[in-house]
Order: sequence, then structure tokens, then C-alpha cells
Amino acid sequence: MNRGGAWVTALSAVLIAALGVTTSRAQDAEPAAAGSAEPAQASGEFQSLDQEVQALKKEVVELNKDLFVLEEELLFPANTQVAVFVSLDVGSFFAVDSVTLKLDDKEVANYLYTARESEALLRGGVHRMYLGNLKVGEHELVAFFTGKGPHERDYKRGATLNFEKGIGAKYLELQISDRVRKQQPEFVVKEWE
Amino acid sequence: MSLRRAIRLTLLAGLLACGVVAAKEPKTGTLSPTVIRDLYYGDVLFYFYQDDYFNALTRLRAAQAKHRVAHHADEAELLLGGLYLSYGQHLEGGAIFERLLKADAPQSVRNRAWFYLGKVWYQRGYSVQAENALRKVEGELPPRLEAEKRNLLAQVLIQQSRYDDAIALLNGWRGPPDWTAFAQFNLGVALVRKGRLSDAAAMLNAVGNLDTADEELLALRDKANLALGYAYLQAEQPESAKPILQRVRLQGPQSNKALLGVGWAESSEERYRDALVPWMELHGRNLLDAAVQESYLAVPFAFAKLNANSQAAEYYTTAIRSYSEEAARIDESIAAIKGGRLLDTLATHDRDGRYGWFWQLENLPNAPESRYLYHLLAGHEFQEGLKSYRDLGFMQRNLEEWDRSLEAFGDMIDTRRTAYDERLPKIDASLARQDPEALAQTRVELESRLNAAERAGDFTALGTAREQEMWATIQALEDALAAQPDDASLNPMRDKVRLLRGVLYWQMNEGYKARIWTTRRSLKELDVALKQMEKRWLLVQQARRNFPSDTDAFAVRVAALRPRIEALGTRLAAAGRAQGEYLASVAVGELETQKERLASYQLQARFALATIYDRAANTEGKP
Repeated sequence: MNRGGAWVTALSAVLIAALGVTTSRAQDAEPAAAGSAEPAQASGEFQSLDQEVQALKKEVVELNKDLFVLEEELLFPANTQVAVFVSLDVGSFFAVDSVTLKLDDKEVANYLYTARESEALLRGGVHRMYLGNLKVGEHELVAFFTGKGPHERDYKRGATLNFEKGIGAKYLELQISDRVRKQQPEFVVKEWE
Repeated sequence: MSLRRAIRLTLLAGLLACGVVAAKEPKTGTLSPTVIRDLYYGDVLFYFYQDDYFNALTRLRAAQAKHRVAHHADEAELLLGGLYLSYGQHLEGGAIFERLLKADAPQSVRNRAWFYLGKVWYQRGYSVQAENALRKVEGELPPRLEAEKRNLLAQVLIQQSRYDDAIALLNGWRGPPDWTAFAQFNLGVALVRKGRLSDAAAMLNAVGNLDTADEELLALRDKANLALGYAYLQAEQPESAKPILQRVRLQGPQSNKALLGVGWAESSEERYRDALVPWMELHGRNLLDAAVQESYLAVPFAFAKLNANSQAAEYYTTAIRSYSEEAARIDESIAAIKGGRLLDTLATHDRDGRYGWFWQLENLPNAPESRYLYHLLAGHEFQEGLKSYRDLGFMQRNLEEWDRSLEAFGDMIDTRRTAYDERLPKIDASLARQDPEALAQTRVELESRLNAAERAGDFTALGTAREQEMWATIQALEDALAAQPDDASLNPMRDKVRLLRGVLYWQMNEGYKARIWTTRRSLKELDVALKQMEKRWLLVQQARRNFPSDTDAFAVRVAALRPRIEALGTRLAAAGRAQGEYLASVAVGELETQKERLASYQLQARFALATIYDRAANTEGKP
């Protein structure tokens, strides 16, 4: 049967595209579900570039690690290093808004948490909020936090810790916990060796 | 010290970060809850939970290097694998998983890991690795994951033209209703490709008649009807194709192709007037679409068949002009892409600062070329290439920042050296003034004097300075009086001196025990102070001695890092260019194909128009 001229042969392009569709949810999530064939076996050039990029990424991560360690060791030597971490240990929802730190009566850090960061704390992340240097001896840490608890209730709490800075690095953890007084977030300050 | 808080850190959580699992996914088969026992492990999680994989990776590697996650060594490795995967390093991540998953992870966790690895590899086009990973899943996953796994594997097989394997995998399988529909569709496609049209029809008809309001399934239904309709057309069964194609929604993404197909089915049966109905509808649509482009030929073809030659000529003329205009626009786009505009537009279009593996170009930039490249831009390979391009740019900026920091570090080291040189004389002078050994000797002497006084019961030795002064005065007076002749007139003075001596003696004797105790206590305090002093003395000595070598060590490290940054920066730039050129060449290739198609259409239109004119001329020429 005459399918009607030369253009019909060209039609096969659309036809093949239509038949080339397999589908899965992953692909459907993309904007061009229509007519997109399943991902073809990646081309040789794509894969060779991909592998090169992966190798580069690995080297960049390792270089970043070395730079990160150098920066810390140079700026905050172990002898004088003090690090303050913030964590959450709450049974019910609590969003941290901000934490302020004073060391020996001097404000050293004031951190405003984004919703994303607050969520990361809630999921178990621990934020190294402050890294600094202190002399060996007695010191005082004063911390305040603000945040929102259940029913949009605002909280502001503070805590003080007198601690001894020895010769090694000192880690302090400010844990916002509601286990001390039920549903009442409080600071629990912990010294780590 | 450990936290009481139990964190549900799981491999699944690691893979959740890849964004491939719906948030609602039930958290079964997780590793046992983990208690944070190293603060720095929590620090890594803080960035990981924000999908900031690069930062999390850097911190985890640094923490491992400094032995700060010793209590979480195994989990840290697992997390590292997940992070590599999340950052697009699927080969590195895969290798870690392969190593770790041989060990003692629960089977359900291993299964999920293989599943997600398979999915990532599939999306990057590594079908062999994808198949291997998916086949490592033992037993059955939870129903929805199992369904997805089966469909993924089928797609991998179809990709490799292993239709019989895909058919065997999907035939007779039933899962959750929506996934069953997807499986039927994929099975139908495999059967069509195997040439088993009647078997395929059963599958595709089942999907094509789905009664659903779900948008995703409606889209699938359209695809099934389109695929079956065209399969019938290809098998020269237009009468079967038409009702199937008519089931495709008029406004959906498949509608253009369906309209074209319906017209073709009608025209195959020489019902050209009926064919014109869908084709005219299509003719009014956007010329960017291939089906619409073809309708510009189809409409005049039908008119010609109906002997409406003037309309046919008019539409062919329109087609020729439209194709030319479209080709010119494509040329502009090709020039723009070659000039780097596409990648610039795409790179500036998304500025959310996240460079994760599952970053997707959600919205296409409003540039002319992106409209032509709609399908290409949405394809896995192009998207992955684009991600690499962005990541390369990010890493270049990252290293540029470090380069500036290194410069600052170098300055800092120089400043420290200068300060050290300036302070050294003062420090040395101060060290010379203080002699811990001499002080310790003095302390020993003090103790032996105390011991001697105690042994001798010499309470005067412990008197205050004033008492000792008075005691000496009294003794001098007594000596003076003893040297005088025995004169009664001196007796009152002798009595006074005796009285004074007695009072002072009594006073010193009474406080003797308390003074011994106090002095011993003071000696102990002196011991502590001396020890501290010795310690500090040693530290200062040590610091004084080590400072130059420590500073030199830092300087050496800084000096060693510089060339690494430079060399990597150069390689990143080169890779970025290569990646950009590759993406541009793929895009240009796609546009060239479109242009070739337009040129072919245009040629056909010109030929058809010439034929009409010839026919008209011949007709007019006849008597």
C-alpha cells in the first residue's frame, strides 16, 4: 500500500521514538518523559570523562583533607585548642534558633541556625560551633541558647561551666536536652577528654 | 564518655541522602541504633544531614586521619561509602560497599545497599555494574523496593537488547498495582521489540485501559497506548491502531504523536478527509515538536490526495518557509552553544549552592536553545555530565579559596618567625634569671634546717623575725650584763631582762607545734609550686627549642601543598573544558540532527510542491 509519499519514511523517526519508551518512576520524575528513550548505555566518551572526574574528585577531597588538617594544626595547636560542640538530645520537636558563647566573660561566638542546620541537629548531627585557643588553667564558659519547642513555645536558657584547661585539646559539648526536666529543654554541659 | 542519645544512623540513612528513597519509606532493616561516641563523628553527620556531601567527606577524611572517629571506625567506612556515592563517586563508593557488605551487615541492609548502588549505576549508564549490583540482592526486598528493583533490572536488560531475559523477568510478575502497571508496560515494550505483537498487545492494552486519576499512571497509560498504536501502524494494521491512539489524552505530552498517528491510520485506509482532522489540529501547535513538524507535510499531502491542489500548494509553501525559519533559529542556537552560552545559562540558572550527586536541573532556563534541547537536557547522560561540569567548577573555586588561605598561612608562619626572633632574647634572659635547680636546692636546705630545729627542739628557730630580733637583743643584753661586775644596782635590770626572756620564751614555746605544722605545710605548697614551675620551665624550653623546627615543618607542609593545588587546579580546568566541550558537542549534535530532519522535510515539501505544479501544468497543457 502506498503510505502516501516520501514524508512517510520520515515519520518512522517519531514512530521509533514512540516505541523506544520504557519507563520507570525515576524517569517519569523528569521533565521529558515523553519520547525520551531509556538511558542508553553511556557513551565511551561520557564514561571516560566520568571516570576522570571521579578520580579528580577523590584527589580534591584528599587535598581538602590535608588542607583542613593543616589549617587546624596551624591555627589551633593541640596544646591550646578548645572546641565547643552543640548537640540536641530532645524527645519532642525542638528547633534551635541561636547559641551564644562567652569564654572568660568575652563573647567568642554567636551562631544563628538555619532550618536545615536545626534539622540536622535534630537528626543527630553535632555542630562544632567554636574552635579557639586557651591558656592552661581555669576558665569559665557561659552559653545561651534560644529556640522553639512544641506549640511554638519560645525558650531561652543559659548555662555556666568552670573548667580546667590542661595541656591537651579540650572538647566541650553543649547538649540541649529535655530529659532533665520533661519537655523543658535545658543545657547539659559535658567535658570530653 | 558517651551520649545517651541513640542515633538511628543506618546505612539506609546514608543512602537516603542520595535522594533516591521517598521520605516515607519505612525504616526497616536498619543497622542497630548507634550511640555517638566521638564528637567528630557527629560533626560529620551534621554536614551529611544537610546534604553537604563535600564538606562531610572532607571532615570525615580529616577525622579519620586524626583518629577522631575510632569508636565508629566501621560505621565511618560505611558512611564514607555513602558519601562518595552521594558525591557522584560511585566507583569509589561501590568499592567500599563491596568490601564492607561482605562482612556482617544484616541481609536487609546489604540488599538495600545493592539496590541503591544498582540504581545509581543504572542512571550513570553503567549497565553491567548496575545489573551485577541488582543481582546481588538476595531474597526479596520490601514490596515497593522489590517492584522498583525488578523494573530497573528489566530496563537494564532491555537496554542491552536482552529482550528474552527481560520478558522472563517480568512475565507473570505482580506487585503493588502501580508498579504492576509499569512492569506490564516494560514487558509490552520488550515483547514489541521481540516482534511478539499480540502478546505485547495484551500487556499494553491492560495498561492503556487503566482506570485511574493518578497523573503518573495517566501518563503511563498514554505511553502504553502510543506504543501499541505505533506498533500496529508499523505492522500495517491501521484499523487496530486508530482506536488505541484515540485513547491518548488530547492535552498530554504524548498527544502530538498520537494525533499524527491517528491521521496516519486514517490515511492508510485512504480516508484523507478524516486524516485532516487530527493533522490540522497538530498543524496549529508549536513547531518545535517533531510530530508538529511532520504535520506540515501531512496536511498538504492529504489535500493533494483529495485533489485540493491549491490548498496543498499553499500548505507546502508554508511548510518550506516554516522549516527555513526553524532551521535558522536552530543555527542561532548552535552558534550560541558553540560560544558557550548554553552552559553559562545552565550554570547560572541554578545557584542554590548544592553540588550533590542527585542535583537535578529542575527548570530549564528560558533560552531558545534549551527549548530545542528539552529531551536531551532531561536525559540521564546529559544531566550527569552537567553535574560533573558543575562539580568541576565548584572544585576549582574551592581550590582557589584554599590557595588564598595558603598564602595567609605562609604570611602567618613568617610573622611567627619574626615574633620569635624578636622575643627570643627576652625569653632567654628570663630563662637565665630563673634556675629551677637552684630553687629546688634552696627548698632542700629549708627542709633540712626545719628538720634540725625540730630535732634539737629549737623553738627559737621558728620564731617570727620580730621575735628572733627580740631574742637576739635579750641575749645581747644578758651578755652585756654578765660582763658587768656583780653590782646590786644592776639587779633590777637583770630581773627585767630575765622577765622579758621568760615572756618571749613562753610565747615562742607555746606556738612551736603550730609553727612546725604551718612550716611543713608551706613546704608542701612550695613543692607543688616548684613542680609546676619545673613543668612550665620545661615547656618553655621545649617550645623555644621546637619552635623553629615546628614552624619549618608547617612551612614545608604549606610549600608541599601549593604545587598540589596548582596541579589539580590545572587539571580541573582542563577537565572542565573537556566536559563543557563534550556537553556542547552532544547538544550541537542533537540540534544538527533536528536540522537535518528539517532539511529532509523541506526537501520533501519542495519535491511535493514541484510535483503539484508539474501536475497542474500538465493538466493545463492538456486539450
